[in-house]
This record gives sequence, structure tokens and C-alpha cells, in this order.
Amino acid sequence: MAERNKRNIEVPQGVDRLRVEHKKVVTGCEVQIQHWEKVKGDYEALEDQLKTLPDEVSYDIMVPFGPLAFMPGKLVHTNEVTVLLGDNWFAKCSAKQAQKLVAHRKKHVRSALDDLHKTRKNFEARVGFTEDLEKLSGAKGDYVDIREEVGSIEEFVSKGKQRVALKPHSKPKMEAIVKMEEEEEEEGGKGGSRRGVLSEEELWARLDELEAKEKLEEEHDRHFGSADTNGNDDTTSSSSEEEKEGDGGGHHRVNGHDERSEGKMSVPHNGGQVNGTTRDREEEEDKGEKEEGNSLPTIYFSHTVEPKKVRINTGKNTMLKFSELKEQKQQAKKKKKNGNGHSHHGLHNITTPTDLYRLFVDVKNGEPIPRKSILKSRSRENSGCSDTSESSAADFEERRTFGRTLSHDENTCSDTSDGITEEDSPTGNPLHPTRRFEAFSCTVVEKEPSSIPHLTIAPPALPTIPERKLEEVAPEAPREAPKRVSKFKAARLQQK
Amino acid sequence: MAEAIQKKLQSELEKYQQMQKDVSKSMSARQKLEAQVTENNIVKEELDLLDTQNTVYKLIGPVLVKQDLEEAKATVAKRLEYINGEIQRYETLLKDMEKKSDQHREVLSSLQQEYQRAQGLAVGKV
Repeated sequence: MAERNKRNIEVPQGVDRLRVEHKKVVTGCEVQIQHWEKVKGDYEALEDQLKTLPDEVSYDIMVPFGPLAFMPGKLVHTNEVTVLLGDNWFAKCSAKQAQKLVAHRKKHVRSALDDLHKTRKNFEARVGFTEDLEKLSGAKGDYVDIREEVGSIEEFVSKGKQRVALKPHSKPKMEAIVKMEEEEEEEGGKGGSRRGVLSEEELWARLDELEAKEKLEEEHDRHFGSADTNGNDDTTSSSSEEEKEGDGGGHHRVNGHDERSEGKMSVPHNGGQVNGTTRDREEEEDKGEKEEGNSLPTIYFSHTVEPKKVRINTGKNTMLKFSELKEQKQQAKKKKKNGNGHSHHGLHNITTPTDLYRLFVDVKNGEPIPRKSILKSRSRENSGCSDTSESSAADFEERRTFGRTLSHDENTCSDTSDGITEEDSPTGNPLHPTRRFEAFSCTVVEKEPSSIPHLTIAPPALPTIPERKLEEVAPEAPREAPKRVSKFKAARLQQK
Repeated sequence: MAEAIQKKLQSELEKYQQMQKDVSKSMSARQKLEAQVTENNIVKEELDLLDTQNTVYKLIGPVLVKQDLEEAKATVAKRLEYINGEIQRYETLLKDMEKKSDQHREVLSSLQQEYQRAQGLAVGKV
């Protein structure tokens, strides 16, 4: 409080000085403007004079004779004018030519005047702002003491702690926003900031509720072999973590969360959710593979709630999303390492930015649980399919390298996951070979031999949701192997 | 101890002030050059507007000397280049001087801190 008071005292002083300086500039501008206006007037008078001068051959005038006297005389050669061009240069011209020169100079004067007017406007506006700031800061002192400041700080503290767990970045934003509001608004601002704080708290509570819901749904899905909810939960939780910062974002997430949990067909939802978040994509990748399992009649475990999966299901020919490719690569890598664990996996396999994102998320532990679950599933899959995967390890490697290059390109080229997904080509199309993405999509795990025939229907089988796999390791193992077969491979196998 | 520091501080302060003066001098010289540049630009444009029929004069002292239009144009162009070169020179000079003044400022601040510390010690001792 004391600090606040001090700051309030200092701020008005600084603001006052700023205002004074701004006003100085404004007055300076006005002086300049007056000067140039006078010059402009002179030139206009000169122009008129030049126009009328050649009318007569000679004029009778009083010629200045010394500093104090005049003499009657005549003005002759009225059309000949000696013009000072500047810098000690003169030119003898006719009256008309002189007029041209005058017009040219007037242009210069006009431009100078315009600039001065602009600067004056700018600084007048600034003066206004500083005055407002002064009033607010001055009045604020009382308000701050009485209300918000304390409350907002407390709220911040509480939120900050929460956020640290989820997203450290969101906290400073919140503080900045609140401070801004406090500084610039009197009652309205304070009320608004408080309201904003409350809404965020509400959001957090809502997010927690949704997470709990998702978990319940996941369990439900496990029993029924629906992978969507699991994926959704993970993605939503992760996405929610990622978008803590804005209330709007949080709301968005909340909506998405509900939608995802409700159904698989949440493609539009995905788009909204995934806007430019590779992390989402990564999660979706994991789940995308699973989705394919959903599409396939035999593979029901594909739980990927993520819309990506949905897309895969709907568009059988469509390739896995880019994130999926990366996931596949990672999975392949994991397989190599015998699925030591997601953490290890992530640490070791930093070949693409998405890997970094994944790692990053893991390290951050915004919500380690969902992440871990996803990872665990993968690792488990790897362990379960290690035998089958090894056979295709070589293939995966090749594809992985392709995928890596592609992923890099994709990362650089595409701003949003949506864009990348668009680039992904359907796995089953021969055209895909031309596109690099297909190669990546082919890195799907070859867990389930039975999935191979399915692959014809749908491109690489997606790895089943980790939790489900746990429950059905034995029956799933054979299935998982085929699932992971890349679309490309599947096609080849089919051809064979 | 404090007195020595004080002397040092004063000498540094003087040096810094000198630097500041130099900087301001260069600044004003550069501004003058800028004004000349604009003026010569206007002259050049107006010369372009004229015909060869018009006689061009140059004021050399109290005398107006006739000049050729083309010659005048060439002279003005050369003058413009010269002025621009001068401006560049002054700019580099200004940059150097600013750097030096910054260094001096830092030295000054560190000396000030030392002085304050010494003062504090002296006060403590006293």
C-alpha cells in the first residue's frame, strides 16, 4: 500500500512534467505554424503583384532613397524580374516565369505547414492523454487504498500460483491487464478488472470440472472402446493449459472441451482449438493414430478424441496430420528404445520442433497427468508392439527422416496446425508420394497385423489409446502392430 | 579518501561537460548543413524551371556576376554533394562523441557511487 502511494505520488510528478513538455512542443509547433502562414501570405501577395505588374509599361512610384527618404520615380521594364533563387544565386526572368517560381516555393511552404499541423495534433493528443493520466493517477490513490489494489493483488497471487503449475506466462499478462485497468480507469476500470479476475477464477473452476468430466468419460470410453474422449480430455486439458491467458481463450477452451467430450465429430471444434498450437497437434497426433483405429471396425481402441482423429476417420484417404506424423516418428523412435518411457522418449527424440513442444510440455508439467497418460500409452504401445515394431523399424526410420525434413519445413511454412493438416495428404493416394507428408504419415506403428487389411480401408492404423491398451494388452498387441503400419506400407502390403 | 574521490569526480564531471558541449556544437553544425541542403535543393529545382534565355547571376560580395545556366546548375549540384558529404562526416563524428560521452557518464556514475560510499563511511566514522 505504501509503495502504491509512493508510486502514485511519483506518477503525477512525472506525468506533470511530461504534460509540460508536451505543451512546450505544441506551443513551438504553433509558433512555427504562424511563421509559415505569414510566409505563405507574403508569397500570395507577391503572386498578385507579379500578375498585375506587366499590365503597364512603366509605373510612377515613390522610390525609397536611403533609409529615410523617398523620391518620385518610374518603374520600368516591368516584365523583367530578378529572382533570388537562394544561396546567393539570382536569375533574371519574366514576370510569368517568376510566377512559376513563386508557385513552386509555395508548394514547399504548404508541405512544411502540413507537417507542422500534424505534429501539433499529435502532441495535443498526447497532452490530453497525459492530463487524463494525471487525473487518474491522482484520483486513484484514494481508490486504490480503499478497493481493488489489495483484492486484485490477492487474486493475482492465488491465480499466479495456479498458473505457475499450468502456465507461468499467463500470470504476468493478468497482472499487466489489471494494472493497466487500475491505472487508466477510475471506478469503471477497477470494477472491470475485478470482474475479469472473477471470471478467470470461474474459468479455472470450470476447467477443473471439465477435466474431471473428461476423466470420467475416458474411463467410460475404455470400457466401450471409444477413444475420442480420452484424446479430447488430453487435448483440451493441454489446450486449456496453453490458453490460460485470455478469458476469451479460456471460454473457447471450455466450449471445445464440452464438444470434444461429447462426440467424435468435432472437426470444426478442432480447428478452433488447435489454432496455431503445435502442442495440440502433437497430442492429436498421438490420438490421431488412435482415431484410425476407430475408423477401422476392428480397432475400436483408437480413442483419440482429438478432431484430427475424427478427420482421419471421416476421410479415410486423408493422411494423418502432420502432428501425427511426428508422433509416428516419435513412436518409431520409442520403439527403438523399447518404450522406456515417455520422458526418455521425449528427451532423446528432439528432431523436430514438435518434439520440443512435447518435451517442453512435459517438462513444464502444465498438466503432467494427461500428458503422461498419452505418453504412457505410447510407451506401452511400444512395449507391447516392440516385437512387431522392430520389423518395421527400418521403414520407420526412413520415413522418419523424411518426416523430419518435412516436419521442419512444415513447421517453418505453416503457422497453424490447421495449415499443416491441410497439407497432409491422404495416406492411400498414390499422389502422396509426391508429397512428403505422406511419407510421414506412413510412419504409423505397425502394431497389429490384423490391421493391415484394414489399412486398405483406412491409412495407418492409429495406436490405440494407452489406457485401453493397458487393459487389453494381450488382444491388442496383435492389433496394435497392424495399426501402426504406415499407410504407405499398408498399401504396399495390400498390393502384395 | 573522500576528498580524493571528490576531486576525481569533479574532473570527470568537467570532462563530461566538455564532451556534451562538443556534441551540441556538432549537432548545431549539422543542423545548419541540413538547412543548406534544403536551400540548395530548392535552387536546383528552380534552376530547372528556367530557360537558357534567362540570365543567371551569382552574388559574390557586392557584385552580381553573370553565370551560365548550365554552369550554375553544375555548381549547385557540386555544392549539394559537398554538403551531403559534410553531413555524413558530422554524423560519424556525433556518433563517436556520443559513445565517448556515454562512457564518461558511466565512469561518472561509478565515481559517484564510490564517493557516496566514502561519504557514508566518513559519516560513520565521524
